[in-house]
Amino acid sequence: MDLADHAERPANRGPRFFGLSGGNLVSPAAVVCGLLIWEVAARNFIDPFFLPSVSAIFAGAVELHQQGLLLKHVSISLTRILVGWALGSLVAIPIGLMVGSFMTAKRIIDPYIHFLRFIPAIALVTLFIVWFGVGELSKILLVMYATSFIVMINTATGVVTIHQNKKLAAQTFGASVMQIFWRVTVPAAMPSIYVGMRLALASSFLVIVAVEMLAAESGLGFLIWTSKLYFKIDWMFVGIFLLGFFGLLTDYAWKMVGKHAIGRYVRASAKY
Amino acid sequence: MTIAMESIAFAYDAPIGRPKPLILSDIDLEIQDGEYLVLVGPSGCGKSTLLRLIAGFDQATSGSLKIDGAPVKGPGRDRGMVFQDLESSLYEWLTVGENVEFGLRVSGVPRAEREVRREEALRMVNLLNHVRKYPDELSGGMKQRVQIARMLAMRPSIMLMDEPFASLDAQTRHMLQNQMVSIWTEIGGTAVYVTHDIREALNLGQRIVLMSAGPAAGIKHIYDVPMPYPRRQSDPIYIELLERISGDIEEEVIKVWI
Repeated sequence: MDLADHAERPANRGPRFFGLSGGNLVSPAAVVCGLLIWEVAARNFIDPFFLPSVSAIFAGAVELHQQGLLLKHVSISLTRILVGWALGSLVAIPIGLMVGSFMTAKRIIDPYIHFLRFIPAIALVTLFIVWFGVGELSKILLVMYATSFIVMINTATGVVTIHQNKKLAAQTFGASVMQIFWRVTVPAAMPSIYVGMRLALASSFLVIVAVEMLAAESGLGFLIWTSKLYFKIDWMFVGIFLLGFFGLLTDYAWKMVGKHAIGRYVRASAKY
Repeated sequence: MTIAMESIAFAYDAPIGRPKPLILSDIDLEIQDGEYLVLVGPSGCGKSTLLRLIAGFDQATSGSLKIDGAPVKGPGRDRGMVFQDLESSLYEWLTVGENVEFGLRVSGVPRAEREVRREEALRMVNLLNHVRKYPDELSGGMKQRVQIARMLAMRPSIMLMDEPFASLDAQTRHMLQNQMVSIWTEIGGTAVYVTHDIREALNLGQRIVLMSAGPAAGIKHIYDVPMPYPRRQSDPIYIELLERISGDIEEEVIKVWI
């Protein structure tokens, strides 16, 4: 059976960001180049109040750290993001699975999903504070709100696009409705759930910063907002930079979860 | 198991007020226990639809379809299915071995027995060396062999196959046809095989059922193939049947074109 035995090899792995041992240094080199150009331009041609140099921003970060503010703002923002994102997904996945699987559930829940998902979480900040207070609860609920619709819609789409043949095959094996749900529907929807959660992670960053600017005494959004009041433009850049940095880091961590912890379910989706 | 069809008709549901387009009409066919039967016909003639009726995926609009005297009400473990599509029916999150065991797992077959049946099925399709691979690491021919193996592991009395080798290259297709014959010879059982390829029909079938062009397709002719396996293309019977069936199919294709 030699002729039929040619396995198609999966495509080459793309450039690796953190795994420098892979020999691919293009991405780190591009980052270093960009920072160098910024540094030189900021020192020579640009008003430091408009755009501080990389070294000035770094000095600002050190200053913040010495005052004990850096870790405080980072950890509170990340906690709100990760807790809200995880809880939001936890609520959204079962709803998405139900909406995708059962026509009745779809008919009941769909109007709410498609109405509410167009109301931005930012529009609800003040309302949530009235309802749930100024504490952490209202902030986490807002992140949950923002992330859950993305996860829900991706999950439901994943379910409805499962090829009919997968379920028909299971029926020829005598699988029951529940067996088909747990052993076919759920695993087959995993790539969509995974991608939905990855997209939702980015929007939870968006929401938390807006919330912290409007109604918080801590967090990176608060740091960026109040830096303006003290004319600490370098602190502002520290906040902005850290958002990008932790966004990259959490996204990378999620990718590693996809590759290693649930690898078999997201073999294709975890490639990018 | 014997499959008996009496004046079967099939139409898909249409919106109220619109006529239901008739796909199959007036099909009478009896498939004997242990027989290898091939359905051929021009594309769109409803041969796959007929197979889906036997599988129990769809219900006939009228007429009766019985297996060993009992009416078919839905899919069941007595009938295995190999789908035409290479990707869509395999579980891509399961390895080759796990795909083959899937049916046994949902049927509650104990682990030791599962392993025996998995090995046996994979041996029959020559995939023992690929147990741990995932479907996306396999070629098209290997994917179809996984589908065949997971059907064999269930030991169905009836094997239903819907153009399983249609999208494979000629060499692979020919090899798999030979393998299919040796599997069927080894395990016995009834096989119903859909194809549009007359040579494939002649390589595999003991009887070939030619369906007329749709809509409202029926059976145009049934040919006996009195040749031993493996079929030789130089056999005078082979050549004569090839010509007759080709001529008959052409008649049907022309009907659709005009």
